[in-house]
Amino acid sequence: MLVRRTALASLLPALLLAGCAAAGSEPDQQDAPSLSVDEDLHALLPADVRERGVLRIGTDPSYAPMSSYGEDGRTIVGMEPDLGDALGDVLGVDVRFVDTDFTTILPDVDTGRLDLGMSAMTDTPERAEQVDFVNYFSAGTSILVQRGNPAGVFELEDLCGKVAAVEKGTTQVDLLDRAQGRCDDEPIDVRTYGTNSDALVQLRTGRAAAVLNDLPPAALLVTDPDTKANYQLASTAQLEPGLYGVAVDKDLPGLRDAVQAALEVLVDRGVYADVLAHWGVEDGAVQDVTVNSGR
Amino acid sequence: MAWSQRAARRRVHKGTTLLAIYAAASLVPVLALGVTLVRGYHDAGITRATSQALHQVAVIERMVVSPALRDADFSQGLTDSEEYSLRLSTDLAVYDGGVARLRLYDFDGHVVFAENGDTGTVLADDPAFQRAANGKPSATLLDSGDASSRGAVIRVLAQVVPEATGRALGVLEVQLTYDKIADQIAAETRAAIIRLAIGLAALYAVLGLISWWTTRALGRHAAAKEHQALHDPLTGLPNRDLFRRVSERAVERAQGRGALVLVDLDRFKEVNDTLGHHAGDELLQVVGRRLQESLRTDDTVARLGGDEFGILLPGESDRAATVELLTRVREAVGAEITLDDSTLTVDASFGICFFPDDADTVEDLLKNADAAMYQGKHGPTGVVVYEESAARPATDSLVLQRELRRAIADDQLLLQYQPKLHLSTGQVSCVEALVRWQHPERGLLPPIDFLPVAERSELIEPLTRWVLRQALTDCARWAEAGRPWSVAVNVSARNLATLEFVEVVRETLAATAVPPERLYLEITETAVAFDAGQVREVVERLAEIGISVSVDDFGVGYTGLSQLRAMSIREIKIDRAFIANLEESQQDRAIVASVIDLAHGLGCTVTAEGVETQQVADWLADAGCDHGQGYLWLRPSPWQEIVPAGEASGTALPASPAP
Repeated sequence: MLVRRTALASLLPALLLAGCAAAGSEPDQQDAPSLSVDEDLHALLPADVRERGVLRIGTDPSYAPMSSYGEDGRTIVGMEPDLGDALGDVLGVDVRFVDTDFTTILPDVDTGRLDLGMSAMTDTPERAEQVDFVNYFSAGTSILVQRGNPAGVFELEDLCGKVAAVEKGTTQVDLLDRAQGRCDDEPIDVRTYGTNSDALVQLRTGRAAAVLNDLPPAALLVTDPDTKANYQLASTAQLEPGLYGVAVDKDLPGLRDAVQAALEVLVDRGVYADVLAHWGVEDGAVQDVTVNSGR
Repeated sequence: MAWSQRAARRRVHKGTTLLAIYAAASLVPVLALGVTLVRGYHDAGITRATSQALHQVAVIERMVVSPALRDADFSQGLTDSEEYSLRLSTDLAVYDGGVARLRLYDFDGHVVFAENGDTGTVLADDPAFQRAANGKPSATLLDSGDASSRGAVIRVLAQVVPEATGRALGVLEVQLTYDKIADQIAAETRAAIIRLAIGLAALYAVLGLISWWTTRALGRHAAAKEHQALHDPLTGLPNRDLFRRVSERAVERAQGRGALVLVDLDRFKEVNDTLGHHAGDELLQVVGRRLQESLRTDDTVARLGGDEFGILLPGESDRAATVELLTRVREAVGAEITLDDSTLTVDASFGICFFPDDADTVEDLLKNADAAMYQGKHGPTGVVVYEESAARPATDSLVLQRELRRAIADDQLLLQYQPKLHLSTGQVSCVEALVRWQHPERGLLPPIDFLPVAERSELIEPLTRWVLRQALTDCARWAEAGRPWSVAVNVSARNLATLEFVEVVRETLAATAVPPERLYLEITETAVAFDAGQVREVVERLAEIGISVSVDDFGVGYTGLSQLRAMSIREIKIDRAFIANLEESQQDRAIVASVIDLAHGLGCTVTAEGVETQQVADWLADAGCDHGQGYLWLRPSPWQEIVPAGEASGTALPASPAP
């Protein structure tokens, strides 16, 4: 992963306050010395994970700053990979983020092809039927439009009769479906795409009037120098705030508890806050790491 | 002169060498600059070309390659449809040669697609490939490509990123033919070289011009310096240094014969003191010119300093002929000169020494010529050849100066007095102080033996001061003894050149308590002759104090009547030359009679010098002359001898027979 030097510099004092002497190394890597392996938690891990020594975490890397491809086109970077790496430090295993279609994350977790899913996935009752969620972040939905807002979209109702592009399988799809009832005659033309980036291509090229994103990635898109010329937020409102959850196989309560406890360690040690601050998403921090707290 | 030609040649040669060094030295940076700029231009062209290629390939990747690879997975190879659409979009570019190679690799370096169907290559170890696989595209110039039949290409390696998420799929290698770009770069470089060459040539020319100009200026400066160091700025003649060098060369030359001549102007100091320095300078220039004009071109005329000139006559060994030649030169120098509307003549003394007969070093030559010259000053001809036997060490002016200085300090000088009488009554009215030198080796010396040397140096001032003080002291003593005589002291024109002298006189009068009316100062006619402001002022001041000023030796020099009229002169003393033949010469009688009338007309008294017979004294008394002075009455003697002589005959001295 690539961390900008300025970001690293601003992060360092916080790490030092947390009793860390990781000067020069990247802050949220497994070798951060403030984090030591918790053998009790390690013992909670499933046998095959401990044997493998690698925790496979599925993510859809089209959702900066949560997870996306770095400049080299091959490494997945973001708040989630950093948090995952820190998780691995506490649990005493390596962590590998696997590029997975958003819609196949839960089935893969279920079948054991992935150990965990961590992809800005909102903990919803429907999903909670398939997997357990360890909640680690809070975010609502924002409406992204082209800069200058040529389609005149300010709230969900304005999308009636227009094209809205969203990533397949996300809560935004459900949100739009529920919003259809508020359209009088022409419904919202909801088009879904395999990745969030593909949805953004539609917006950038004018084939969609809006894209629905969680606030953190939407905020990044309208502030990043590379993209802010193309996008803006329709309004400052956050729709249907919810909690992100790490998806865990319901059959592996030990893994779930280990992840929950390890995340609590990160919160306690301040690593969690540092990582969120580094990616500029500290507004979405949770106070406590809970399980299945989604509505 | 041969000497200056040789020096000029040497200077020219030195200047050329210096210029060549300058030219070579400035050529180095100019060429280095040229090479650096040309190479820089060429390199910049290649850098521009590769960076352009990088952008071209980036566009090719985005617009041609990636769209065909949507959803591709290189680890599985390309599907038929992916390969088909890739071929469709690249075939033309490959076919018409703009793209020499287009290949796709997975991250392990295996070929997934090749424009020519060759999928055998594995690139994994290529560092450029590794960099590209990690997101760092590169462009390099390959001189001959892979196949020798192909020309130079630019090879670009970059990632293929066919998805919006930014996920890289593999590496794209494109080789763009370079020939056309190379031609363009070459053309641009050529144009730059031409511009540069013109610019640098101009720069070099300017540098060269500056160098040439500087060298020339330096050369001229050096030449001027050298000339200045070896020539007298006033006359333009060689100076003492150069004269010595030329003489040394002449003396050292095998079988070199010749003569070294020293020339000294008589009474030059007087001209300088009375007419001012600019007149003295002009006189020296005229003399220098005359000397040069009356000699051969092989001879060297130099100004050695002051009023002294040196002449080198190389090859001259005939003594009589040399004396004859120099006598002619002396006549030429002695021709009348008009300075500041005043006409005067200047006499020069010539001292000759032949080498190698009479001396074989320049030092000795100069010393001997100097001795001969001083002999010439006192002799009748003014041109004297050095003869060993005739050499008298004391005639060496420097030795004499040294001795005289000591004589003044050690009181070796003494004064004798000659009385001046009223011709009508025979009473002594005044005594003239005459200085003698009691030389420890040479006995009692008359003024002629040392006064010229004193006048030529600063010594005249202490000498006059000594005489003045002694004379006034004596005057006070004979006044005490009941003799109310005035005293007359001779002063040099040089003394009258500064107002300081007035103070000296005033102080000495005060110190000896002699009333100023008792003091006569006798100055030579030459000193009065010219209208020199300072002399006139000094005379006026002296007259104001109450001192009487006499003009000595009147009639042999130049005196304008207007100048006589303009000054407060109390007395005119007629030179002994007119008195000596008074009995025989009708003309002298006429002159003396009219001078007496003239002097009376101007309100001056008249004294006749050199009165030796009673007849002359009687004639003078009849002619109205006021005073007489001469051997008829008394030779110069200590004043104590005058007193008894005076006492013996009451107030009037008896006539004594002529010597």
